[in-house]
Amino acid sequence: MLPLSMKDDEYKPAKFNLLVKLSGWFRSILADKTSRNLFFFLCLNLSFAFVELTYGIWSNSLGLISDSFHMFFDCTALLAGLAASVISRWRSNDSFSYGYVRAEVLAGFVNGLFLIFTAFFIFSEGVERALEPPDVHHDRLLPVSVAGLLVNLVGIFVFQHGGHGHSHGDEGHGHSHSLFNGSLNHGHSHGGDDHKHKHGGHGHSHDSHGGHGHSHDGHGGHGGHGHSHEEPHCHDELLHTPGKGSSKQILQGVLLHIIADTLGSIGVIISALLMQKYDLMIADPICSMLIALLIGVSVVPLLKESIGILMQRTPPSLDQALPECYQRVQQLQGVYNLQEPHFWTLCTDVYIGTLKLLVAPDADTRWILSQTHNIFTQAGVRQLYVQVDTAAM
Amino acid sequence: MEDKYSSNVLSGGKLGMVEVPDSRLTRYIVLLLVSKVLKALGIFESYDILKVVHIVQFIFILKLGSAVILLFFQKPFSSGKVISKRQWIKLLKHGILSCVISLLGFFGLTLCGPLRTLLLFEHSDVVVVALLGVLFTNSGGGPSKTRGAAFFIIAVICLFLFDNDDLMAKMAEHPEGHHDSALTHFLYTAISFLGVADHKGGVVLLVVSLCLKVGFHTVSRKLSVEIGGAKRLYALDNLVSAVVLLPWVVVLSATTDSKVESWSALILPFGMIIFSVMILEFYVEAVCCAKMESPRCARYGTIALFLSALLLANFWTHPLTDQLRSMSKPPQQVSTEHVLSGGVLVSAVFFIMSSSILSSPSRKGQKGTLVGYSPEGTPLYNFMGDALQHTSQSLPRFIKDSLKQILEEYDSRQIFYFLCLNLAFTFVELFYGVWTNSLGLISDGFHMLFDCSALVLGLFAALMTRWKATRIFSYGYGRVEILSGFINGLFLMVISFFVFMESVTRLVDPPYINTDMLTPVSVGGLLVNLVGICAFSHAHSHGSKSCSSHDHGQSHHGHSHSEHSHGGHGHSHGGHGHSHGGHGHSHGGHGHGGHGHSHGSGSGGMNANMRGVFLHVLADTLGSVGVIISTVLIRQFGWLIADPICSLFIATLIFLSVIPLLKDACEVLLLRTPPEHEKDLNIALEKVEKIEGVLSYRDSHFWRHSANMIGGTIHLQIMSDVVEQRIVQQVTAILKDAGVNNLSVQVEKEAYFQHMSGLSTGFHEVLAMTQQMESMKYLNDGTCIM
Repeated sequence: MLPLSMKDDEYKPAKFNLLVKLSGWFRSILADKTSRNLFFFLCLNLSFAFVELTYGIWSNSLGLISDSFHMFFDCTALLAGLAASVISRWRSNDSFSYGYVRAEVLAGFVNGLFLIFTAFFIFSEGVERALEPPDVHHDRLLPVSVAGLLVNLVGIFVFQHGGHGHSHGDEGHGHSHSLFNGSLNHGHSHGGDDHKHKHGGHGHSHDSHGGHGHSHDGHGGHGGHGHSHEEPHCHDELLHTPGKGSSKQILQGVLLHIIADTLGSIGVIISALLMQKYDLMIADPICSMLIALLIGVSVVPLLKESIGILMQRTPPSLDQALPECYQRVQQLQGVYNLQEPHFWTLCTDVYIGTLKLLVAPDADTRWILSQTHNIFTQAGVRQLYVQVDTAAM
Repeated sequence: MEDKYSSNVLSGGKLGMVEVPDSRLTRYIVLLLVSKVLKALGIFESYDILKVVHIVQFIFILKLGSAVILLFFQKPFSSGKVISKRQWIKLLKHGILSCVISLLGFFGLTLCGPLRTLLLFEHSDVVVVALLGVLFTNSGGGPSKTRGAAFFIIAVICLFLFDNDDLMAKMAEHPEGHHDSALTHFLYTAISFLGVADHKGGVVLLVVSLCLKVGFHTVSRKLSVEIGGAKRLYALDNLVSAVVLLPWVVVLSATTDSKVESWSALILPFGMIIFSVMILEFYVEAVCCAKMESPRCARYGTIALFLSALLLANFWTHPLTDQLRSMSKPPQQVSTEHVLSGGVLVSAVFFIMSSSILSSPSRKGQKGTLVGYSPEGTPLYNFMGDALQHTSQSLPRFIKDSLKQILEEYDSRQIFYFLCLNLAFTFVELFYGVWTNSLGLISDGFHMLFDCSALVLGLFAALMTRWKATRIFSYGYGRVEILSGFINGLFLMVISFFVFMESVTRLVDPPYINTDMLTPVSVGGLLVNLVGICAFSHAHSHGSKSCSSHDHGQSHHGHSHSEHSHGGHGHSHGGHGHSHGGHGHSHGGHGHGGHGHSHGSGSGGMNANMRGVFLHVLADTLGSVGVIISTVLIRQFGWLIADPICSLFIATLIFLSVIPLLKDACEVLLLRTPPEHEKDLNIALEKVEKIEGVLSYRDSHFWRHSANMIGGTIHLQIMSDVVEQRIVQQVTAILKDAGVNNLSVQVEKEAYFQHMSGLSTGFHEVLAMTQQMESMKYLNDGTCIM
């Protein structure tokens, strides 16, 4: 052991430089596909909102102004997603020893909650209006909502596209993998990088190679960190079973949000048409109530999943596999008992487990240890902590 | 249906029940359905007849007719054992009881009309027994049964409260009108004595007689064994009750003049009623219960009965059916038919659902969940019930238990009391608003109700935190409180954002506000919220142990408490509220400061849930203070702009006060090393390194799981010649001192990696990597640990 301790402050940046920081953020946003998509869509949304706002102020229409504020509020969802996708790529430090990967789960959760709030508000307003339909000015409504619909459709197309490539990850190595690497495994586990190496020969998506080099820097410089992530590294190729990792909380949350917005615009368009053609004033509240219900229902799975992860639930995908693993471990030579098994999800597809084994005094603990690791690795648990307790004679 | 989902999939095949294929049972099911439809018809018909025939006469004719037919079929005297004198006495009692029950039932029929009678009275015994079991014992049989019981109760309440029957109202006006015997008169007076309209009285009567009927059936089961068969008992019972009723009928027909013009016209309907209601249904039910299980029988029967009753009720008074019935019909009286109202429809739906749930067989004892495998490979089940089946108790007991749980702990008790206070205030406001027809009060009441949801969330989280760990949630539910605090915080942020937005728009264009109603309501709300702030900041200083001025704070709090109770008794509202505003406010700040303090010094139990609730209440209080101030300003000086400025200010304040809570909750959720333990942990890790035989460690993760649990995992590399157990003990002890109370240590020796590499080729890279890391680790040791 060489006592080469270094002072902490050497690692701190010399002074706060806004420009450098901004450009750093910008670069990291553009580094992978998810955050780039999010960023561009955010820009589109923001510009639309600003156009609406200025036009509203210019023509002095209160409806347009309030709608643009609503758009700004919507942008917070995107912003949260963007921030999470950047934050989740931050390297782990001493305080956050697992890294910031859970930010994506948190972002999905927050987005889901916001959507629930929105759905609730819309619903209550719909009920209010159903009791007493107000006089809606539908002459200005239609163009604005059509434009909003177009913007949102672009968003759906972009994210659907991304998600599509994502789920097809194993057949089409093309640009889907760049997304996979960039967004999912880039910052926290270097398994993705390893993967990149393997498929790099196919020659595609050079943009994410930049990010790749960047993260390798971190690899070298941060010894401790790289160290802690070697297990995902090695298990990645063992474990790369197809079809995994198709759901990611950020994307899901943002997509749901955009879909909700789109539904909202469609509802407005339909009810505006109905009101114009048939003078059905009740169409508006009914539409909005239906949409609120739809949003609420569609958000529930996302919320359920992310709450499960945040509460350290045993991963549902491992529910079936784990009892079999326990059985296999208990059948190992010299294992008496298996205690306190805790398995939980760190972020999408990264599972962590701890368990305690009570073994016979004369058992070969090293063999048991490696066997146990092997068993759970096959089930998909990347980081495992096995405490071997020797039974008293 | 519900049961199919609630029973665990893992529990495997159905152990107890043998499902007979439906095809063999189709005959019986069809028979059952036909008999039920006929029964419904019979009940409708008898309602018509009861308008002209006196009820006692009616029952006498029914009993007599069925006794004659049954005597013919069963021959109770010529076959079987001879009946002893004691059994005759029992039979007499039995007959009297059955007379009473059918009197009650048919009297209910005259009160409520056939549809409601069918819905209420014709439940099979299985359903009612299951219902009573859920309600009054603690062996209810799972959440689905509880749900069924809830449906049943809802249905009865629907029928009782929301069934606006015009006819009923008409009859209730002159209850003394057309009863023609002492018995009906007695019942009428009893009902009017209870103070309900008579159709509601009929509902109550029917429910009571339903329970009586079920009890009677259960008792009579024993007697039927003695007598020799249920059918024989039934025949004898009918005979005995006919005999019992005979003197009464004779007296009746001697004293009163009958309304019936020709008895001969009534023979056909009577025959039909006797056949369908008394005989066919009895036999078919007996046969079906023998062939199928009685729950299933009950389910099909009840559904068929209710559906046909609904159909008949719709078409009974239809002109077409009138034509069909015209030949056998007695001269039609005034068309007093019971209408189909929405309440009846809803309750019929609920009755059908509840009876299908309650009569579905309970799968008790098979609801185990797989917990693992024994060393021999046989699956092990856990029969204690899993996380989601916490509600498998009877209803009163469940309520009692949860109340007890709530009151057990300080936090949840506090929240509960405050929730009750808040709800009471809200309901007073709502009622007053409805009474005086003021829309502002009503909307404010709904707003309060919405606020209560935060409290409910907090209460639920405080309860849920104490649930035990299950197989799925292996660390327990402690994180719920952090999540709840987080959600509350987010919620407040959204609210403050909206308030901010609205006040900006109002700043541009200040609307005129009607200030008359605002002050008393907001003062009331302020008082309620101040009580809440006191309670919660109290809990707060309890929670944070190392508050420097703890004693002082407590005495102060006690003081303010007493003052508040005075305020509640009714003082001069305005001034008091104001002075308290300052008081409560400073206290809130105090509590907050104390908390921050404990956070810094590193020994506070962090309870995000309580903080979230506290902040919510604080925000509400600030809101009412703002409203009061702006009202005063607007009234005194006419500054319309005061309102938006106040709300701007308040929104900012709320926003700022929520940020620390959100930050803490985020850190916990992101699995940060607990800041207040960070220093201890670093020292502990240094100690670990210095243990003899330890080469190094890696993957040290420590995170706060809940308020009183810190989890940790660590990998240790040790020399190959030390005893692992000793090292594990030492490390556990050291880290326990540092606050980690759920630790798992993995000890690795050099050979471990060789094993790993031997297992699969992919692990060569691991080995190489590890060694490389090892060398690097020694180089910059300090950076990777610190």
